[in-house]
Amino acid sequence: MSIRRTTAFLSVVFVLAACTTGGGTSAAPSTAASAPAASAPAASEPAASAAACTVGVSWNNFQQPRWAAHDQPNIKDTVEAAGGTYVDKDADLSTEQQLTDVDTLLSQGANVLIILAQDTTVIGPAVQKAKDAGVPVIAYDRLIEDPEVLYITFDNVGVGKAEAEAVLAAVPTGNYVLIKGDPGAPNASTFLPQGWDDAGLKAKVDSGEIKILNGPAGGTGEWPKDYGTYTDAWDTAKAQNNMEAIIDKAVADGNKIDAVLAENDSTAIGVAAALTGKSYDPYPPVSGQDGDPANLNNVALGKQFVDVWKNANELGKTAGAAALALCAGGDPATLTLQDGLIDPSVAPVAGLTAQPFETPGGNTVNSFILQPTPLTAENLQLAVDGGQITKEELCQGVDATAATAPAACK
Amino acid sequence: MTNVADAATVPGQAPPPVRTSIRDMIAQTEIDLRLFGMLLALGLILLTFNILSEGKFFRPENMITLAVQATGIAIIATGMVLVIVSRNIDLSVGSVVGVIAMTYALLMAEWLPMLGLAADFPFRWVIALAIGVAMGALIGAFQGFIIAYIGVPSFIVTLGGLLSIRGAVWYLSGGAAVSGLDPTFQLIGGGAQGSIGGALTWALGLVGCLAIIALLINGRRQRRRYGFPLRPMWAEVLLGVIGCLAVLGVAAFANANLWPAGLANRVAVEQNWGAVPEGGWKIPTGFPYPIVLLIGVTLVMTWIATRRRFGRYVYAYGGNPDAAELAGINTRWTILKTYVLMGVLCAIAAGIASARLNGSTLDVGQTYELYVIAAAVVGGTSFAGGIGTIPGAVLGAFVMQSLAYGLSFVGVNSPGQNVVAGIVLILAVGFDTFNRRRGS
Repeated sequence: MSIRRTTAFLSVVFVLAACTTGGGTSAAPSTAASAPAASAPAASEPAASAAACTVGVSWNNFQQPRWAAHDQPNIKDTVEAAGGTYVDKDADLSTEQQLTDVDTLLSQGANVLIILAQDTTVIGPAVQKAKDAGVPVIAYDRLIEDPEVLYITFDNVGVGKAEAEAVLAAVPTGNYVLIKGDPGAPNASTFLPQGWDDAGLKAKVDSGEIKILNGPAGGTGEWPKDYGTYTDAWDTAKAQNNMEAIIDKAVADGNKIDAVLAENDSTAIGVAAALTGKSYDPYPPVSGQDGDPANLNNVALGKQFVDVWKNANELGKTAGAAALALCAGGDPATLTLQDGLIDPSVAPVAGLTAQPFETPGGNTVNSFILQPTPLTAENLQLAVDGGQITKEELCQGVDATAATAPAACK
Repeated sequence: MTNVADAATVPGQAPPPVRTSIRDMIAQTEIDLRLFGMLLALGLILLTFNILSEGKFFRPENMITLAVQATGIAIIATGMVLVIVSRNIDLSVGSVVGVIAMTYALLMAEWLPMLGLAADFPFRWVIALAIGVAMGALIGAFQGFIIAYIGVPSFIVTLGGLLSIRGAVWYLSGGAAVSGLDPTFQLIGGGAQGSIGGALTWALGLVGCLAIIALLINGRRQRRRYGFPLRPMWAEVLLGVIGCLAVLGVAAFANANLWPAGLANRVAVEQNWGAVPEGGWKIPTGFPYPIVLLIGVTLVMTWIATRRRFGRYVYAYGGNPDAAELAGINTRWTILKTYVLMGVLCAIAAGIASARLNGSTLDVGQTYELYVIAAAVVGGTSFAGGIGTIPGAVLGAFVMQSLAYGLSFVGVNSPGQNVVAGIVLILAVGFDTFNRRRGS
């Protein structure tokens, strides 16, 4: 009995030690405890050249069409063009499966790992195992709370900024309606509104140049929490019902709606349906993000002014190139992307060299934070070129001969 | 008093004693007090919002928006009454609406054009609707079969339906939103151009008024023929006058809603209406199509529930399943049919939802089940079975939606709306339970 207890106790101590050194906060790293130290061949020293480099990718949910359409082919092509080998695994939304997947990738001889983590902290033991084997880890699209990862993602606050910049340029003063997403989502309540403020929304509200029509119920409230209308579960039909009530109220008050800032594309569709259904005239600019085909079609039809798009092709290229550089023994802190690898419009504001990034968990990681692309009627061709949408889908219902038709549809 | 004289003309009936109190007078009109109470509650809610918004709430355009937003829930709630009356439940309605709405969108945007039925092919909307209704009936029949003939509890079967059918929506579109419906189909969703117009609205009001009078006269004749006690004449006249005034008043109110100026001016140019009259175009919208659909569904469902054998069987089964079975009612077939009916109603609601969006998204119909059940229950349907009315459920849907719309209108955000909706649900049912207990 005592032997058993001691062993159990020791293994717990071992696991705790492993966790604390890794900076992970996971409380149940049973997978790491039971498995022996990873047997990763040829991982103790960095591979000499790209030709010997194997890049392992762990997806959390490959079912979502985006990864197969944009991210995966770009990572794969970048790696294979340099003579490297690409292997991947899909965890199908399971955190446990992802830990197993990382083990498998390591035993398949991966020299560098790209992980789209199902959970930012539960993935800790797997990252620790990779680090123990001397395999660098790239946190792809989603953060991993570990100081040694290289974080490659889009600027989420920048999405809100790009939305508001485009709309504010079109409507510098007037009455705004704010349509937000699910009240429980940090993106809806904090990050996107913060981006709006970065573009100057709050300053204009304070100076009185912009009036928020759907402000707090009592007239006074906290910015930005009490301003705008939340949409449970980002549900399109709810956004539509809310927008209809807001239009009715504006008409009853004798107010004109000059612009609508909608946080994402599913709410933007609801807003556009409400404005169209009510034949609102003149039709105000509406924002959105995600680059969904139905919304890009709305941009072409003039029912949505701007759709902020995260060009996942460029994210994939960045990750592929960074993986190869790490493989060749590059230092993550001074890692620099080759000029011309990615489109200048999405390049990080801070330049092509990795920058420190403060995580919400208090770590400082090296990062490449790409810029999202605001798509308007003028530059819709970018979405067609990037394979986000076909010209037929984009221009469905657009009269290509009309003077107002966007260039991408002519 | 006329009531004494009237009653005395019925052979074999003892004349009722002369009554004078207000409560007795109301009783003599045979008004459904529950329904009347709900109408009052609805009026009170609208009045409260009108005060909160400084008189800007109770306007034709607002009331029409509110009514159109309520139609989807109200239409499905008429079927939910029969399902709950027969001691079952249907949690799958939201997902069924979702899958049919997505089917409509894909049919018109992708599948029909692929078959060579391009946008200019006539009656594409009829083909789409027919396929949707057939789909709803099939899904309903499948779930109903498992419930009625295999005996799996309806809660479980439809919970499974809620999950798996919502998943199927994802597979239909790959998670993407689909847009681009047939222009005629879009009219089902309402809006200025999706309304029947001023003249038809007046005509509908007049028909409604005449129908009320005809029903009153016919009812009186039938009662006399079978020797039932008659309402006093003053009550008959009062009901006729109030009914007619209400119907015509609603029609007038709907006609006070005008086309938005921008739309009217644009269409006027497109269709060469000539010079703009002084003060701009004033074109009444009247009832939007979704509301006409709701009126039709309510009438047909009330007729099915109260006048058809199927409807009476449902209530008989709900009141006492064993007695209904012993009386020779094919109870399984009856239960299966309630689910088929539910599927068809979901197809109609899906038509309205997708037409309103001019397309469909992954989440159309999400949480409908909760609001539909809430509408039926607020409308007086009892989970104990056997009790519930169609008009009550429709009113229930309007009560719930007027709260959601009104709170939105005065700027209360979704968490606040949910708090109020939950409290009202419990209050309504609590009040009802209290009243029933006192009555019995």
